[in-house]
Amino acid sequence: MKKIIYSVLTLALLVTSCSNDDDLATPSEPLGAYEDGIIVSSEGGPSSISYVSNDFSTSENQVYFNVNGENLGVYLQSVGFHEDKAYIVVDAGTISVVNRYTFENLGTISTGLSLPRYIAFNGDTAYVSDWADPNNATDDYIAVVDLNSNTVTASIAVSEGPEQVLVNSNKLYVSHKGGYNTNNVVTVVNTEDNTTETITVDSKPDEMAINNDGDLIVLSGGNESWTGNETQASITKIDVSNNSIISSLAFETGLHPGLMSYNNGVAYYIVNNEVFGLTDDATTLPATPLFSVSAAYAYGLSIKDNNLFVTDASFTENSTLLVYDILTGAETNSFSVGIGASKIYFN
Amino acid sequence: MKKRILFLFAIFCGLSCLAQTKLDSIQNLDEVVLNDSKLIENGKGFKITVLNDSVLSKNNTSFTNLLRFNSNIYFKENGFGMVSSPSFRGTNASQTAVIWNGISINSQLNGQTDFNTINTNNINKVVIRNGGGSVQYGSGAIGGSIHLDNTLSFSSHLKNDVKLNYGSFDSKNVSLVTDYGSDKFAFNVGVNYIESDNDYKYLGLDQVNENGAFNNLSFSVNLGYFISDNDVIKLYHQSYLSDREFSGTTVTPSNSKYEDKNSRSMLEWFRTASAYKSSFKVAYLNEHFEYYQNKDSEFFSFGKVNTLVLKHSLDFNLSKTLSVKSILDYNYFQGEGSSFGEPNRNAFSATGLLQYNPNSKLNIGLNIRQDVTSNFKSPLLFSIDGVYGFSKYYKLKINASKNYRVPTFNDLYWQPGGNLDLVPESSYQIDLGHVLNYKAFQFNLNTYYISTEDLIQWQPGASGIWSPENIAKSQSYGVEAGLNITKTFNKQEFIFSSNYSYTVSKNDETNKQLIYVPFHKANASIAYSFKRFSMFYQHMFNGEVFTTADNLKGSFYSLESYDVANLGFNYKLIKTTKNQLDLGVNINNLFNEIYQNVAFRPMPNRNFNIQLHYKF
Repeated sequence: MKKIIYSVLTLALLVTSCSNDDDLATPSEPLGAYEDGIIVSSEGGPSSISYVSNDFSTSENQVYFNVNGENLGVYLQSVGFHEDKAYIVVDAGTISVVNRYTFENLGTISTGLSLPRYIAFNGDTAYVSDWADPNNATDDYIAVVDLNSNTVTASIAVSEGPEQVLVNSNKLYVSHKGGYNTNNVVTVVNTEDNTTETITVDSKPDEMAINNDGDLIVLSGGNESWTGNETQASITKIDVSNNSIISSLAFETGLHPGLMSYNNGVAYYIVNNEVFGLTDDATTLPATPLFSVSAAYAYGLSIKDNNLFVTDASFTENSTLLVYDILTGAETNSFSVGIGASKIYFN
Repeated sequence: MKKRILFLFAIFCGLSCLAQTKLDSIQNLDEVVLNDSKLIENGKGFKITVLNDSVLSKNNTSFTNLLRFNSNIYFKENGFGMVSSPSFRGTNASQTAVIWNGISINSQLNGQTDFNTINTNNINKVVIRNGGGSVQYGSGAIGGSIHLDNTLSFSSHLKNDVKLNYGSFDSKNVSLVTDYGSDKFAFNVGVNYIESDNDYKYLGLDQVNENGAFNNLSFSVNLGYFISDNDVIKLYHQSYLSDREFSGTTVTPSNSKYEDKNSRSMLEWFRTASAYKSSFKVAYLNEHFEYYQNKDSEFFSFGKVNTLVLKHSLDFNLSKTLSVKSILDYNYFQGEGSSFGEPNRNAFSATGLLQYNPNSKLNIGLNIRQDVTSNFKSPLLFSIDGVYGFSKYYKLKINASKNYRVPTFNDLYWQPGGNLDLVPESSYQIDLGHVLNYKAFQFNLNTYYISTEDLIQWQPGASGIWSPENIAKSQSYGVEAGLNITKTFNKQEFIFSSNYSYTVSKNDETNKQLIYVPFHKANASIAYSFKRFSMFYQHMFNGEVFTTADNLKGSFYSLESYDVANLGFNYKLIKTTKNQLDLGVNINNLFNEIYQNVAFRPMPNRNFNIQLHYKF
């Protein structure tokens, strides 16, 4: 038995040393265990981060806990990636700064934050949408964070319920879904002087993207029927040079999509588990879906290359990350991810 | 390991105390004592445990802890003093009914009673009834029911009771009770104030329980007056004001607080005649909460429900062996809240109960109930129970019942999501019980099976809005065992009591154990007294629970089992017939066990409590 072990060891040594010798072009040092993969954030509780390698061969849950031996608070709202760091936004009022490849904690930002939602970056500055007291419709703000000192240096007052944030050419776009209420504006912050303007869109603007033409597209979910004032959802295209609305494509009354992800000329969105693709030049919403997904509760959507990723969220047990081939609509993979899996990022 | 040994030692001590005489808390019946008696008379085939005055007054921690250490009930507590939800036989908190002097006081908003809002300061008797009791006690009595009874004693007396309590975390508890009685008139009045900083250390962590302070004030008055030889008028009142910060978790701080303002008043006309007894009750219940997500902010959400209850019951003896009883019950609920407008609801029920008691050995009960409720249709409920005494040592009890739980105001009216198409959860149950009494030993063993369908669960719909649906089915089965031994010799008294439960409660579809249902739970206590001195040791074992539905194990999915023990000493400084002064010291969580009964919410470290109790 011992002999066998020795021989295996020797063989292993040989193999390793051989391969080292054979390395002509030295590959770059791996930056960390969670490089080259898909990061899924889960609201919880407990909140968690999951990792799936790009080749789908390995996956790991509770990455942050495994690395740092501590938990993130509830509820993990979103994650922002900037340079070599990731910023984990927890709506209890903290942003945990980690190395994006190792997920080692580097510090926490908490002063100046109340109920943060999303983070966006412009050079050494980050912008965080914050509801403050969610019951108060007039105290919402954008926290301005100095990324060198990880401190909130200023706050920009905005209207009720700032949600997603997006930086484009020294402008910060903020969709106001409305928090505990509803709202129907996109705030545009000039990042040079923090002055603001607003663009009125349909109710509950949420997901945003800059398309290949350089226009801002905004998905507004519309008010649901229970509010007693149901309104139509729409995808609005905005000219960023003058904040004017180029077009607004309305959904049928009664449909309230909440997920949209833009990739290479197409805005993909999900309505009642059917995936549609809206091209940049389309003048009407597509009538037929590309394919459908099998999620019980499609809660997160992202696209990379020809893969469409959807989280099928469960809040009582682990959720599932579903992977679809966009071209065929076939489900190609699925992974068990955290409780309340909500956002999908690519590292 | 040490703890286990001690635990076994405690059991051994208990077992080795062989009995010669039997001390029992048989009530002194030569005076007229009035309380809610339906429980015992109609349902002799059910398991019943009584915690009387003396047990209640010895308890100087929370009511949650009292039940946790003295019954089969399992509790989930969001950190000490925070929301506390009971669970019987693998069911949940809204399937546990809490009955105050015969009427249900479960919240109409969420269907539950938070046991940290129950004050037993002026409650004379707590009865724990395991098993389905919807026929007698209405919605929610699926796993079991807990009865809080006030007793009025019509004999000439005046008793005063003062308790002062001080403990770790700057905890204070002041209680006053006065009890007066004459042939015609009896009353008692109680006031209790509790406050605590509740800033206990999280063992093993560099944190304390922040934002966990609480205080509450309760007031109760009960009176009865014989307006004729056969008629008595009774008034019951209890009001409760509580202000609690809601502590955060080990990973998330909190700055929220929660205020409860509850009051209950009931007027009863009770008439006894040779062939019948009649009771007419009018009750007005008010529950009201305010939740401040940020305690420093003026913004809060609220919910309140006013309930009017009209209840008539008539007992009629058809013959010496057969008696019937009818109950007519009308409830009007009027709600108001931040998230559901101002809905209201009516409920009417008619119940018929039959008792057949052919001889002293056999007793059979047959009970049936139909509800008529606005919004939804309720099932016809029934319950059959029997007890047979094979010998003076052994009794067999059996019962079968159909029980239900109606949708709550939140389930029906919450915006968004409230679902007006819900039907009540319905449940069948069968229970077989054995009671052995041999000298000082009392042993009971129950096995049961519960099948529940149309369980109401909130889940996200296609549009992402959460809504309740009658979707799940569950099955529970298990064993409950209890052993009590009382033994006295040479003026020394030993009392040993213990409970064990094995509980399987699973989702029918997935076949997985429901979350927060331990397979094993056990407790044991031993009390010793000699002359003026007494002491007790109590111990609880709570098995591992799953915190997610997929039954995975690990820090994200399950909570480890734990053992917690308390130790207490008491000395009577004054002991005369008119005056008694007791000094007591308790050590809670004696072994400094690190434990959580809700994930990420640690429970207190070792803490101390000192009590002065003066009776005159």
